[in-house]
Amino acid sequence: MVHVFHYHDHHYIYDTGSGALHECDENTARYLAGEQTQWTDEQMKAALAEIEGLKDAGLLYKEEVHTAPVKSHEVKALCIHICHDCNLRCKYCFADEGAYHAAREMMSSETAKRAIDFLIANSGSRRVLEVDFFGGEPLMNLSVIKETVAYAKAEAAKRGKRFLFTTTTNGLLLNDDAIEFLNAEMENVVLSLDGRKEVHDAVRKTVSGKGSFDAVIDKIKKFVSIRGDKHYYVRGTFTAKNLDFSKDVLFLADQGFTSLSVEPVVTDIPELQIGEEHLPQIEAEYERLCDEYIRREAEGKGFSFFHFHIDLEGGPCLQKRVSACGAGNEYFSVVPNGDIYPCHQFAGDAKWKMGNVYEGKLDGEIRSLFASSCLFTRDKCDGCFAKFICSGGCSANNYHYNGDINKPYEMTCAMMKKRIECAMHVLAERKSREK
Amino acid sequence: MIRTIAKPQEKKITGCGECRSTCQSACKTSCTVGNQSCERVTREEKIEKI
Repeated sequence: MVHVFHYHDHHYIYDTGSGALHECDENTARYLAGEQTQWTDEQMKAALAEIEGLKDAGLLYKEEVHTAPVKSHEVKALCIHICHDCNLRCKYCFADEGAYHAAREMMSSETAKRAIDFLIANSGSRRVLEVDFFGGEPLMNLSVIKETVAYAKAEAAKRGKRFLFTTTTNGLLLNDDAIEFLNAEMENVVLSLDGRKEVHDAVRKTVSGKGSFDAVIDKIKKFVSIRGDKHYYVRGTFTAKNLDFSKDVLFLADQGFTSLSVEPVVTDIPELQIGEEHLPQIEAEYERLCDEYIRREAEGKGFSFFHFHIDLEGGPCLQKRVSACGAGNEYFSVVPNGDIYPCHQFAGDAKWKMGNVYEGKLDGEIRSLFASSCLFTRDKCDGCFAKFICSGGCSANNYHYNGDINKPYEMTCAMMKKRIECAMHVLAERKSREK
Repeated sequence: MIRTIAKPQEKKITGCGECRSTCQSACKTSCTVGNQSCERVTREEKIEKI
């Protein structure tokens, strides 16, 4: 299928079958969208010849390949919930302010090591394994993270494998010791910061109910200043209370952070929840952010915004694009008592418990459900231009909003599509500058 | 007039499974496969030995 879209006075054609992106004049865009054009006969003849040329080159109206992926059962990654407790009480926390609707607890080093054993034992021929230390607030259990990293590295070395570690933190416990360890051992560090002080403080509260911005900003700045060129993300959340979130992204960029991600909230709190009525404003906000993003990049003062990344030339292969996110089959989360869930968003929901690292076995029925899930089991995706980029969206979001991992949540889809169009425009502008 | 902005390179390797798990990225809520790179290409470009 061909997706025609407009960004200000730019007109784009995205061919889903080939993955090619083209920019065109308004009449060509109108023609391809099935609308009236104002071509002269001569112009029409030239344009149709151009379109036929692209078809012949396999870059327009190329037939989509709809082959279901061949999925292996090799486990690639674990999200290890090293701590089901938190030193903040963020209003929108999907994890029940760190407790996941159960008792607050820390993972023991023994359980963490069993999780590593489980991952290695089920990783087959996979060489590079990934572990994400998640919470709650993982740095509340830093000693166990350190012990687990040392153990994982030693065990991997014996088997010719290697680990990539990630930690997600709210920054409150970032002291010199934690900074040195994270910078030495973590492939990626995700630091939670929502943006402007008033926005952050309205939702990210300390245990005593105060805003946490002043307590974390200098620590996160210090961490990033020492981080050098290693990967990190300053990652915020926007809610219905800050639909002008482009200001928060730009605020974070103005603080000197160059790798940013700001995500729509996942919550059932009515005053924070994002609804369909907010969509026009959110879409306009992505455009505002996109315009400023391009302006800063052109001036050599650019930053990286996660959702404006798109690699149409060297991105994932088709097999990956149709395989969905991998949760429940190649990626799992392990909670402090060793129970295994399809991903962190299912953690604590007994219905989705798949096993325990001390038993080492996985629930076959749940795994089959996730292993069989792919782009082509998500019927609603069939007519969507974004399908080979989003791969049918987040299974957990689909389940929590629509009760079915294969039924995409329309709001998420709408935001995703807007971000993809912005990302394509960013790419086109960058290519124009490079010429 | 049509200007091609980007077209996928032909891949010699497909479905090798070496790529990172999608949820190991920044968001944890809006996983987007298309934001990822082909890790095999990335690693081989870096000539990384493990």
